[in-house]
Amino acid sequence: MTFSALLIKELRLRLRRERTMWIIIVYILLMGFLGWFYLSRFSTINGYGPFGLANTGISLYTLLSQVQLFLILFITPAFTATAINGEKERQTFDLLLCSRLTSFSLIAGKLVAGLTNAFMLVAAALPLFSLVFFFGGISPQQVIWALLVYISTTVMVGSCGLLLSTLLNRPAVSTAVTYMIGLAWLILPIILYVILLTTGNNAGSNQPPTLFIWNPIIALLSTYTVGSAFYFSFGSIHLSPWISYIVLCLTASVIFILLSMKLVRPGASTLAQRNRLLRPDKPSVMA
Amino acid sequence: MIKIEHVSKRYRTIHALQDFNLEIPQGTIYGLIGPNGAGKTTLIRILAALLMPTTGEVWFGQERISRSPEAIQRKVGYMPDFFGVYPDLTADEYLEFYAGIHAIPRKQQPQLIHDLLELVDLASKANAPVESLSRGMKQRLCLARALVHDPEVLLLDEPASGLDPRARVELRELLKTLQGMGKTIIISSHILLELAEMCTDIAIIQGGRLMAAGSVEEVTRRLHGGRQLEIRVLGRAEEAINLLKASKGVSNVSEQEQGLILADFVGDDQAMHTTLVSLITHEIPVISFAPRSSGGRLEEVFMSITEGSSLS
Repeated sequence: MTFSALLIKELRLRLRRERTMWIIIVYILLMGFLGWFYLSRFSTINGYGPFGLANTGISLYTLLSQVQLFLILFITPAFTATAINGEKERQTFDLLLCSRLTSFSLIAGKLVAGLTNAFMLVAAALPLFSLVFFFGGISPQQVIWALLVYISTTVMVGSCGLLLSTLLNRPAVSTAVTYMIGLAWLILPIILYVILLTTGNNAGSNQPPTLFIWNPIIALLSTYTVGSAFYFSFGSIHLSPWISYIVLCLTASVIFILLSMKLVRPGASTLAQRNRLLRPDKPSVMA
Repeated sequence: MIKIEHVSKRYRTIHALQDFNLEIPQGTIYGLIGPNGAGKTTLIRILAALLMPTTGEVWFGQERISRSPEAIQRKVGYMPDFFGVYPDLTADEYLEFYAGIHAIPRKQQPQLIHDLLELVDLASKANAPVESLSRGMKQRLCLARALVHDPEVLLLDEPASGLDPRARVELRELLKTLQGMGKTIIISSHILLELAEMCTDIAIIQGGRLMAAGSVEEVTRRLHGGRQLEIRVLGRAEEAINLLKASKGVSNVSEQEQGLILADFVGDDQAMHTTLVSLITHEIPVISFAPRSSGGRLEEVFMSITEGSSLS
């Protein structure tokens, strides 16, 4: 009940903002422009035979899906990284704490509202992705796997942003830190991999190093091939990168959400527990 | 009844409240007066269970704030010294949101919101965006928001700051209506006249300490050594002054302007009546005889306290 009230309010506020509409328009235009540019320039390279068209479809899908991943990574923080400290800045946070909103309802309501905005972008781009099926080369199963990678990435980045908005008081700082963490998460494994290659380690292996087990690019790349060509091994268990990626993302998201719930209501209940043994049970009679 | 017992609040090296004791009877409009930084907002936030005291305890009846803050928050309607509104929502959506997060059943919400908007005289603005409302209207909307879960106690932090005189009068009337509904109202302000007009009781706070508390009349009398009488006569002012000087409990008699006499008075209502009878018996043409309004007196009391003298 309290959760739905918060969610409805958040959606009303977000969807009424002009900024939301512009983000969707720019997002679709950007994706559409990239698709149009690719098709107008490179569609003839592969020829018009069945394999040629399929290759065009695969290339178009690869381009659009990678761009979509980057856009998700860098748009989602804008929806959640100011969720809690934004309320503090607007001076409405105390009023939420005075209500019957539980920590779970507060965090879940904010997260779901933020993620709804991000998912709206993914959903809005789906018709563009359906263009790929005209060319062939990509199965619906692969699109669904990629969709799962998008969803887990959005949930993870969103919950990380939410945790930072709980920890840091200034919305601009929490947004910037979320972007920096996102960038480091994306780029650091690649840099480390390059270092490993140049120092001669990992040479000769045709499997991705464990360093990439939690990398969205590798996870997305692994959805392009049915019956994955590469995998991560844990004893006798062989996991496709996108599956291990989703498991890690969801685990990290749960940790971020639990931490946010713990941090969002500081003081009252904890102090209440501590004080329970220290103070008398009845008020004293005052003179 | 709310009982504040030996409450202290420390922010690192700053003592916002120090050994603060106060009893707030049910159904009163209790004013917390003090200069900026006196500790009023800290006290109100402690009463709203948003802050825990460093030491001491606050009791709401038999419930204590340190043990059941959530239960106390259900009894309290808190209005901070800022609006805290969502400008993109309409007035009824704003109240609907707060009704929702206070777990008011959805079926009851439309009637409740209608009643609250009627109470604060904003029914005609139900569909207006909050950002289009005037400052006074926003303040009334915030008051409606604080009432959404029908709290027993209302905590209003500087409710009249920035309001024009008309909005201030409307707020005062609204608070009286709420008091009539049995609510205990605690208001903080640094504007004395505002509180003197609205409150039944006051507490004067300075430097985190309680300097004086009680009914407005009581505090004024206790701290100023009595009341001040304001007497208007049509003539024979000199004779009236001599009579007053000779009366028991009257001192510092002076004529302020033509026919207006001010005199300090120590005594109960019966003694005041006796003084008036003495004037009438001597055929002094008295046209008004009344204690001076508490506001002006309170201001003098407040100024003397906050000059640094501590009260015994």
